Amino acid sequence: MTQRTNPLKALIAVGALGVLAACGSSGSTSAGSTSGKAVYGGDLVIARTADSQSMNATTVFDNESIWIFEQIFQPLYTVSNDGKGVIPWLATGYTVSADKKTYTFTLRPGVRFSTGQPMTSADVKFSIDQNRKATQGWAYLDTAIASVDAPTASTVVIHLKYPWAPLLADISLFANGIVPNNYGGQTESQFYQHPVGTGPFKWDYWHKGSALKLVRNPYYWQKGKPYLNSVTWTDVPNDNTRELQLKGGQAQIDEFPAWSTVGSLKTTPGVTMNLFNSTRTDYLAFNEQRKPFQDVHVRRAISLAVNRAALVKAVLFGNGTPANSFMPPQVPYYQQATSGLQYDMAAAKQEMAASSVPHGFTTTILVSSGFSDQLTIATILQSEFKPLGIKLNIQQLDPNTANTDQQSLKYDMTLTYWTMDIPDPDELVTFSVDPKSGAKSFFTDYNNPQVVKDAHLAEETLSTSSRQSLYNYIQDHAASDAFMAFLYYSPYAYATTSNVHGFFVTPLGNYHMENVWMSK
Amino acid sequence: MGRMTFVIRRLLMLVPVAVGVTIIVFFMIHLIPGDPAATILGIRATPRAIAILHQQWGLNRPLISQYWLFMDRLLHGNLGQSLYYGTPAVGIILGRLSATIWLLVYAALLAILISVPLAMIAASRKDAVRDQVVRAVPLLGLGMPPFWLAILLIYAFAIKFQLFPVSGFGSGFGGHLRSMFLPSLTVALALAPVVIRSLRASMLNVLGAEYITTARSKGVPPGRLFVRHVLRNAVIPAVTVLGINIGFLVGNTVIIENVFAIPGIGQLMINSIFARDFPVVQGVTLVFGIMVVLVNLLADVAYAALDPRVRFER
Repeated sequence: MTQRTNPLKALIAVGALGVLAACGSSGSTSAGSTSGKAVYGGDLVIARTADSQSMNATTVFDNESIWIFEQIFQPLYTVSNDGKGVIPWLATGYTVSADKKTYTFTLRPGVRFSTGQPMTSADVKFSIDQNRKATQGWAYLDTAIASVDAPTASTVVIHLKYPWAPLLADISLFANGIVPNNYGGQTESQFYQHPVGTGPFKWDYWHKGSALKLVRNPYYWQKGKPYLNSVTWTDVPNDNTRELQLKGGQAQIDEFPAWSTVGSLKTTPGVTMNLFNSTRTDYLAFNEQRKPFQDVHVRRAISLAVNRAALVKAVLFGNGTPANSFMPPQVPYYQQATSGLQYDMAAAKQEMAASSVPHGFTTTILVSSGFSDQLTIATILQSEFKPLGIKLNIQQLDPNTANTDQQSLKYDMTLTYWTMDIPDPDELVTFSVDPKSGAKSFFTDYNNPQVVKDAHLAEETLSTSSRQSLYNYIQDHAASDAFMAFLYYSPYAYATTSNVHGFFVTPLGNYHMENVWMSK
Repeated sequence: MGRMTFVIRRLLMLVPVAVGVTIIVFFMIHLIPGDPAATILGIRATPRAIAILHQQWGLNRPLISQYWLFMDRLLHGNLGQSLYYGTPAVGIILGRLSATIWLLVYAALLAILISVPLAMIAASRKDAVRDQVVRAVPLLGLGMPPFWLAILLIYAFAIKFQLFPVSGFGSGFGGHLRSMFLPSLTVALALAPVVIRSLRASMLNVLGAEYITTARSKGVPPGRLFVRHVLRNAVIPAVTVLGINIGFLVGNTVIIENVFAIPGIGQLMINSIFARDFPVVQGVTLVFGIMVVLVNLLADVAYAALDPRVRFER
């Protein structure tokens, strides 16, 4: 018998393998849009830009870790939705002593950890004390605390070294979230491999570089919440892929779609494009250790030469607003009337003429490679500074080296940004204007002694109106000193499928997944 | 030299390769500017916080002393702790290795399944229309940037027809088979033109050989002639080409892993370099080096299995 071999059969085999592979599991359904009564169930997937670093809330600074463990650990107070205040969370209230140095918190009854163990004042004392010990972490925000006592199971007393206005804001920090006393008998390292908290979700798994999953906490204290069975954060660094996952139903939330796609996502059927108010502020920083940036006229000239509206259009595709203060509008004590320098080329030329380098100079802007936004800004600035006689060279370094050089003040100008961690300006203000804060005034070496003095005075001033006056002064002088050029404020962009409801991001970037549900 | 002796000798060659890789990578990654503390601490990296982390990680020691510590750990099967994750680097790398191996093996399989029949079609009638088509069309796969080809495939097969997931690794054998089809096809479409050209040229060469004329004159059917006599002899150079290209691909999977969100070691390597996560960079490079040597060894063994005339030489 002769056998006839057809090469096309092998090609068909490829197709068959594809079909076989395609039948491996069922596809996801696409999103539909309904609203109304919250529906229970569902496994929600958030496609995010990068992996988390660690679940140790007291030492970790990256947002991709913070936004996860905020679903597990909860503080006594939490940030309000407008980002400007706090609301009771694991505490129901507090009283303060006459000398304003002792705060007594009453704990919320019926709060349990995801193990079923009730939360007590011993857990709260342990948690805050742990954060105070984390010297390479967030301890600097708890420095006003002298000690923490747990006189009864439902009462916690915080003794301060001095009156401290931002205390409640500091207490609302994720790093002061409550964990079981003594880590439930484990070491710190063991505990944070499978953390336990009072939050709406509990630990399931973390496949590093791939996905991190939390599942519903059956002991959660808010009756009837959470609605979702689970939330999984998948690591999808490519902007296009996150968007395609959303459109293909593989993810329900796309974290930070590219600004260039926001417009088209707004009109994509089955997709809801959300732009949440944020505290993100972008800056052009000047290194005052290098000439000629010690000269306020030079800094002012450059700041006046920046066309912020053009940057917002080119970089954010119109999804932002020019900045007038180094403090963003979503921060308490932000002053709308702060006369931050805005685009005025005639005034810029006048400042330049009055400076130590009236005919211009050559300088360099340090940007991180791989960040197209930064390169776009630098290129625009290059042309905007030409009329001042400033020749701007662009130095691109990989992000790590660029960060290191910025922190070592090895740059002339660079691009940087800030987002708030607490609903109080204290952290940002001391970081930005105090050259002895450790961050050398946002790594610029800016030093205005009166501004520094007022920044620290504001920390111990409890009167709201007095604090407002102090912060107004600080904002006005920081603006006229032009220690940085304040570029723009931008929102948090999140695209969701239309069947996702209740997803809200506060100006500080926090979100409460216990409020989120998915319609069928 | 016997086959086993050859394989053992080649495996022993892994030792100097590995040591060479560790020396080059260790000193390169430590000598380039940047600081892992800058990644961990971000904008809040004060000099004091940086100093504390450097002490914790032992980065304040002399470089040579750090290298000896690394080698000492390596000999005990320990790559050290990831500076970024704070967990053992070995666990992180092993957790990501399977996705990259899946991608390479699946892509090689698809490349063979695409290339062999197309090369046979082309070689069956030299310079005919089918030959020209087979020579020209697959070049599109070679010419298109992989990320672009990947997006086209995703739009067609994941968004339009919803046959496959947009991206990811999937779970379980079926899940991996399904999730990894599009990324593997993207790699295979870039590999196939090279293999097709090599295989076609070999086939045409073999078709002109006297033993093929003899076989034809004896009445061997064309199908059997192609498979038993032409393909077996023609496939040998193609195996070498495939082996070299897969070896090259080992270090170049990062684009595909990025576009398809595959948690492989290519992506891990890039992230770890950016984070200056020294132990992970050193570990991944070591794995890449070993994989390239093993792929080439496999190609050599396959070469000998296909051609009994080939003898293992020193």
